[in-house]
Amino acid sequence: MIKKIKVTAAEKIIFYFLILLAIIFFSTFFIIKNKCLFVKNHNPQNIDFDKPNNIAILEAPCGNVIMELYPDVSPNSVKRFKKLIVSGSYKDIAFHRVIENKLVQAGDLEFGKKKSLDYGRIGTGKSGLGTINSEIDNRFSFKKGSVGLARTFKNDTEDSQFFIILQDEPLFEGEYTPVGKVLYGLEVLNKIKSQRHSEYILRPDFIVSFKMLR
Amino acid sequence: MITNYMNLLRLILLVFIWITPVYGNSIYNLIKIPNLEVYEIDTKNRLKYFYAKSSFRLGVQKNIICENSNRKDLDDKYNLIYKNLNKYTYNFLKKINLKYIVLCENLSISGINTAGIPDNVMKTLILDIKFSQKYFERVIHHEVFHLINDQHKELFDENEWTKFNDIKFKYAKCSTCTENLGLDKYEKTKGFFTEYSKSTVSEDMAEVYSHIIYLDDEKIKQIRNLDKILNKKISYIESKIKKIDNSFVF
Repeated sequence: MIKKIKVTAAEKIIFYFLILLAIIFFSTFFIIKNKCLFVKNHNPQNIDFDKPNNIAILEAPCGNVIMELYPDVSPNSVKRFKKLIVSGSYKDIAFHRVIENKLVQAGDLEFGKKKSLDYGRIGTGKSGLGTINSEIDNRFSFKKGSVGLARTFKNDTEDSQFFIILQDEPLFEGEYTPVGKVLYGLEVLNKIKSQRHSEYILRPDFIVSFKMLR
Repeated sequence: MITNYMNLLRLILLVFIWITPVYGNSIYNLIKIPNLEVYEIDTKNRLKYFYAKSSFRLGVQKNIICENSNRKDLDDKYNLIYKNLNKYTYNFLKKINLKYIVLCENLSISGINTAGIPDNVMKTLILDIKFSQKYFERVIHHEVFHLINDQHKELFDENEWTKFNDIKFKYAKCSTCTENLGLDKYEKTKGFFTEYSKSTVSEDMAEVYSHIIYLDDEKIKQIRNLDKILNKKISYIESKIKKIDNSFVF
């Protein structure tokens, strides 16, 4: 005859505690894995802009980065930047150079494309439109969120690559061509994949889309 | 045994890779000189001044060395340097590719002390703030001329310049190939402002330029009247500088 064992209150508490622990463990696992969970995604349709024609929306893996472009500061560079945005050239292009809390760089249309990523040459690619002159004479304060065109070691070599700074960089004034500033979504940029020991990223994140508001 | 050592080496390398953070120093990224901090970047002509917070070595063979200075020395010399470099407009500095000034002391190349090292490619002028007080201000302009010359090589014809001198005169093979490095201005110039002018053509040009900038107009006028060779050299430098920037004021 099997003797029925009565479960004590202490045993019940331990049992429920273990179940709770398991739930927390698995929940935490999924929360940690989802890097975008607590990142606010800004919808540009819900925001009123002073100059809607100069608003560009870059969609990154964790949401929208909404930026205003400054044609008054760098007319030719903004013209080129807009042209590439409107043509959809930046879609599926890698954020190939990321320095945590400092800088995010993308826009290599030749070697940074998702389907044909070339780790050996990424960062050196061209758009096919030719280079443009630096526009660095106007005063511009490179505050956190400023967007600039990347270049080679020499001036007047700007093309399609751009960077967004995640901290103030006063020394960039007069060195790099400014094209705009992020208005909303800097926290999205902080979630872009970076690596501690290298500026250049193995298996990088990609631009989902990049469009003008109008 | 060797395998153990190899494994240990791998482990050390792995640890090193993991603990080496990305070198994100903005100054280093711009001019490739380590151990610098901002001294002043908000200036009228947009020159940006840095100072060495600790000594640094440069060059492929690390043969350029400069040391850090104390704050008082930096403050004293900065005012002097600022006053002199403020003479140059943003537009002129842009044309000669000068943007960054590095302040440090005991600057040397391969063990030879020097007042400054210009680098037009990196848009940088390194200045030794402990260089002789007597010549310090003039030497700043001397170094600026080297930047001008490097940036506009096509304008400064060494053969044409050499013809200004007495036919028997010969420059040394290099600026440090002679013991005659004096920077005192000659009482009787005879075609050269200083002993150092006789070292090479580019040093001669730099000495002429620095004296035009440093001496007052009246003094230059006197020298022009007394020394026909220097008169030609002064005119030559002035005309070339005007070609670079017609609005330049001597």
